[in-house]
Amino acid sequence: MNAHSHARYEALLKVTGQARFEGEIAPAGLLHATLIEAPIACGELVSVDAVEAPTRPGFATLVTHDDSASLKSSAATTLIRETAIHFHGQPVALVAASTLAEAHDAARAVRIATAARPAVTQMDQALGAAIAPEMVGRFPAATRRGDVATALGEAELVIRNRYSTQVNNHHPMEPHVVVCWWEGPKAVVHTSTQAIFATRATIAQAFDMPPRNIRVLARFLGGGFGCKGQLWWPWMFWAMLASRKTGRPVRLELSRAQMFTLVGRRQQTEQDLALGFANGRLTAITHDVVAQTSAHTDYSDSTAVYSRLLYACPNVSTTHRLVRTNEPQPVPMRAPGTAPGTFALESAMDEAAERLGLDPLDLRVKNFADHDQETGRPWSSNSLLSCYRVGAERFGWADRQKRKKRDGRWTIGFGMATTLYPAIRQACRARVRLNGDASLVVQCGTQDMGSGTYTALGQIAADALGIPMAKVTVELGDTWLPDGPFSGGSQVTASIFPAVQSATAQLRAMLASMAASDANGPLGGKTSDDLDFEGELIRSRSSNAAERLSDVLARTAPDGLVAEGESAATDHPKLAATGMGHGAVFVEIGVDSALGEIRVRRVCAAFAAGRILNPLLARSQYVGGLIGGIGMALHEQTLTDRATGCILGKSFADYLIPVHADMPEFDIAMIEEDDPHLPGSVKGIGMLGSAGIQAAIASAVHDAIGKRIRHLPIRIEDCLGPACDTAQR
Amino acid sequence: MSGPSFHYIEATRLDDALAQGARHGATYVAGGTDFLQLWKTGLAAPKTVIDICRLPLAEISYAGDTLSLGALSRLSDVAAHPDVKIHHPLIADAILASASGQLRNMATLGGNLLQRTRCPYFRSAGLACNKRAPGSGCGARDGENRHAALFGTSSGCVATHASDLAVALAALDAEIVVASAAGERRLRLPDLYLLPAPTTAPDSSLADGDVITAISIHDACRFAPRSTYLKIRDRASFEFAVVSVAAALQIEDGVITAARLAAGGVAPLPWRLHGSEAALVGRAPGKAAFAAAGDLAIEGATPLAKNAFKIPLLRSAVIRALQTIGGVS
Ligand SMILES: Cc1cc2nc3c(=O)[nH]c(=O)nc-3n(C[C@H](O)[C@H](O)[C@H](O)COP(=O)(O)OP(=O)(O)OC[C@H]3O[C@@H](n4cnc5c(N)ncnc54)[C@H](O)[C@@H]3O)c2cc1C
Ligand code: SF4
Repeated sequence: MNAHSHARYEALLKVTGQARFEGEIAPAGLLHATLIEAPIACGELVSVDAVEAPTRPGFATLVTHDDSASLKSSAATTLIRETAIHFHGQPVALVAASTLAEAHDAARAVRIATAARPAVTQMDQALGAAIAPEMVGRFPAATRRGDVATALGEAELVIRNRYSTQVNNHHPMEPHVVVCWWEGPKAVVHTSTQAIFATRATIAQAFDMPPRNIRVLARFLGGGFGCKGQLWWPWMFWAMLASRKTGRPVRLELSRAQMFTLVGRRQQTEQDLALGFANGRLTAITHDVVAQTSAHTDYSDSTAVYSRLLYACPNVSTTHRLVRTNEPQPVPMRAPGTAPGTFALESAMDEAAERLGLDPLDLRVKNFADHDQETGRPWSSNSLLSCYRVGAERFGWADRQKRKKRDGRWTIGFGMATTLYPAIRQACRARVRLNGDASLVVQCGTQDMGSGTYTALGQIAADALGIPMAKVTVELGDTWLPDGPFSGGSQVTASIFPAVQSATAQLRAMLASMAASDANGPLGGKTSDDLDFEGELIRSRSSNAAERLSDVLARTAPDGLVAEGESAATDHPKLAATGMGHGAVFVEIGVDSALGEIRVRRVCAAFAAGRILNPLLARSQYVGGLIGGIGMALHEQTLTDRATGCILGKSFADYLIPVHADMPEFDIAMIEEDDPHLPGSVKGIGMLGSAGIQAAIASAVHDAIGKRIRHLPIRIEDCLGPACDTAQR
Repeated sequence: MSGPSFHYIEATRLDDALAQGARHGATYVAGGTDFLQLWKTGLAAPKTVIDICRLPLAEISYAGDTLSLGALSRLSDVAAHPDVKIHHPLIADAILASASGQLRNMATLGGNLLQRTRCPYFRSAGLACNKRAPGSGCGARDGENRHAALFGTSSGCVATHASDLAVALAALDAEIVVASAAGERRLRLPDLYLLPAPTTAPDSSLADGDVITAISIHDACRFAPRSTYLKIRDRASFEFAVVSVAAALQIEDGVITAARLAAGGVAPLPWRLHGSEAALVGRAPGKAAFAAAGDLAIEGATPLAKNAFKIPLLRSAVIRALQTIGGVS
């Protein structure tokens, strides 16, 4: 496999506006829908009075819980079947009309009555009622190895702190949208989802219909970050019910404000973490997480999971607990678990280094885990030590203290931290068709969130068959295609790789035997292991002989060839080795301590995540991830009004994310790994950038102004030091 | 989202606009950048919208030490105008620290001065807010109030005014020219705004139908060599001020002969720091004078649960701004 920095397959389509996003599909007779939201955080919907709405111009239909009675009961339909209200802004009805303005107008004419009950709007109001989930994702929620209490008691140094992180929202540029209609018993659903097949399955279950009667399409996405992962928004079913009631296609798009409440969030955490050391080595870790979940569905990030395995440590105990509040549902958000978890662990490591008089980098190296101590398995590959070395070199970590600590109004600080994310795969099928003219079509029912899946799919197939990208067509985002993976957990490239490889291997075998079997052809009699595919030719390695692919096809398969490949999901219990991607992040920040302002000035990160297919795309993923991490560290915070449970400031004017001026220079190093356990040595990369950097920034703030900030985001009030004139006071 | 439909009138003459604007349920729109946000979220629901952005009120002129800015000038045009840049750089600085390039291309001076508060309770329909729904209470006072004011608040409202431009204009003693059906009148800029009452908090003193036609600034180019707009925020750009300071000094023979200081993000209106100004005049620029100005700036500040940090921040900001233009640290 070769690394190629091919530009994005769909770049031209996107910059010329030819890429059609699903929300742009506009069938004749399209109705526009809007949601009516509950004004209370906890209680019951008493009535929906829609006497006046139908008299409004353009009104088409109203859908409520009553209509949902026709749906099968399941976790995905609870919120639209039951009248219980669990959070402020929960939809209680959908109105569809000829235009969006008419829908809004008719919705304003609907009177809803609710009965409020006392709400829990803040984690600490119900800490006593925290529950302990069994699992956090695919990991057990609580673990214990060794004897933590004794080890902490005997430790030479114990670092014990509470770390907290705030609620963040995903905010892809493209909000959730669905355009749907019925063709007799069949449903067509154009929607912005990271998981077309999971969406199809939930629809099939809710509507009790065979999956083959449902077509879900998501060919282009304007981002996802986890909030479009599965069917987090059952209100899509209401759009489908509206379409069924009216016999017309229906479009529902969430507003930016609704993206704060209806599609998930990164949960708030309070993390108690203790590290025990003897001789500079970790002897004990306890990491106890309390996090927010909604009143209707339990969800926990794997926040403390990474404290079990990032470092070598004989005694480790971790727990996760959840507090149910009347706030929106948390879901995975880019770097789920690792982002909040490494903030605590890596901040504590920095503090430990200071107390031990060690360089933070040396402390990490000293505590490197040479195998996965939680499962006892070896790493499938692990180049974390190279990440530390290369990142430190490029950043100039070793002589940072010699650099000037001031630049105008800025006090400079340096920090570093580790990031990691599991390398996992899902089951995948892919179809590759080689046309008679040696052009390729690659088909896989996965999605491209904007992260480069089109390009990766095309590139893997094109490389294997020696065909230029210009002759490759990629089709994805349609459940009529072979089942592909959902776009999440940094798994797509790793999952599609073996499936596409298997399909192209079949094609290569067919072509080789076709070429070799023609005794009069240039490759007649050659063995298939002598044949290579390159430059649209089949070549003999041992001689100069070659034949054009198109000639081979014209002769033997003028209609082309098709092959399907398949690959299996990671079988976690049977794994011989733990797959993990790693990285080391180094940052330079400036703090104006008189005014409290913090700016990131420079980021250097070295990542080791298997083989990199396309360095250009990989860099874009890493940089995007790091920017998200800067947002979590310094800007992003979803505010809840505790009196009402209402989310405040639901717009980009109020919810801050980094703007260009907040994005420094990014120096990205990619350390290639051969991984004998992973097909093609491919690991996921999408999550790595979004963790670690938070702790690196917090450590750099400490380096600059001597203050340990143990919560995120770190803001002006946290960094305000004495005024610039203290001498005079 | 879209708000309720309205009747749209494009005004081409001021007298037409004034006549239409005085009618019940009418509102003006200029660049629309604030109005549309309020309309989309259901907070503004006018029957009639009178678009005044084509009125011939966008002229910028400078003569006899009076700068006159047409109220419908776009922020970006004002910031780029040579007379503004050379003679009143404080105005250009404040504008360039506001919003984003795209917004400044649309937004007008008049609209900027009359933008509504960013208080998140005001901007969330249904929450208690005396400014939006008189008598409903103030959600911010005991709620999320990091953004809230330190000065000029009442038991009924603790919101700040968000305009950066207004802070600069207050420091320069700008006058607002207002037209109504009854004729034209002039206001000192701070008089455009009202302090909150116990259960209500109207923003401005304008009557229905009033149009701001111009802003004029006299005798202020003497501050051109020493003026600065310091805006403190959580991210590097495109954010409303957490705290801001407009500062201007005139220094002759090593003595401060005139000082202007106004603060943003701390009050329901641009907050002139008269006490600090008085403490500076007649003194030599330097640490002692600046610290005194900083101390006086925060006198009388009343913090809430989450905005107390703004007090030391304001003090530091005043000192920093003075250091920047005072020629000494
Ligand atoms: C994301 C975002 C960030 C922003 N950041 C900043 C910032 O950092 N600093 C800052 O100062 N501002 C900021 N703003 C606010 C922005 O500057 C204002 O929205 C803009 O200046 C308003 O001008 P406009 O012409 O668009 O007003 P409009 O929205 O058209 O009008 C606003 C109000 O003023 C009234 N009005 C307008 N002109 C007149 C007139 N001549 N006479 C009488 N009434 C009139 C209208 O009736 C309306 O009620 C930001 C806005 C956004 C959306
Ligand atoms: S501070 Fe003023 S604007 Fe904000 S909620 Fe209170 S009354 Fe409303």
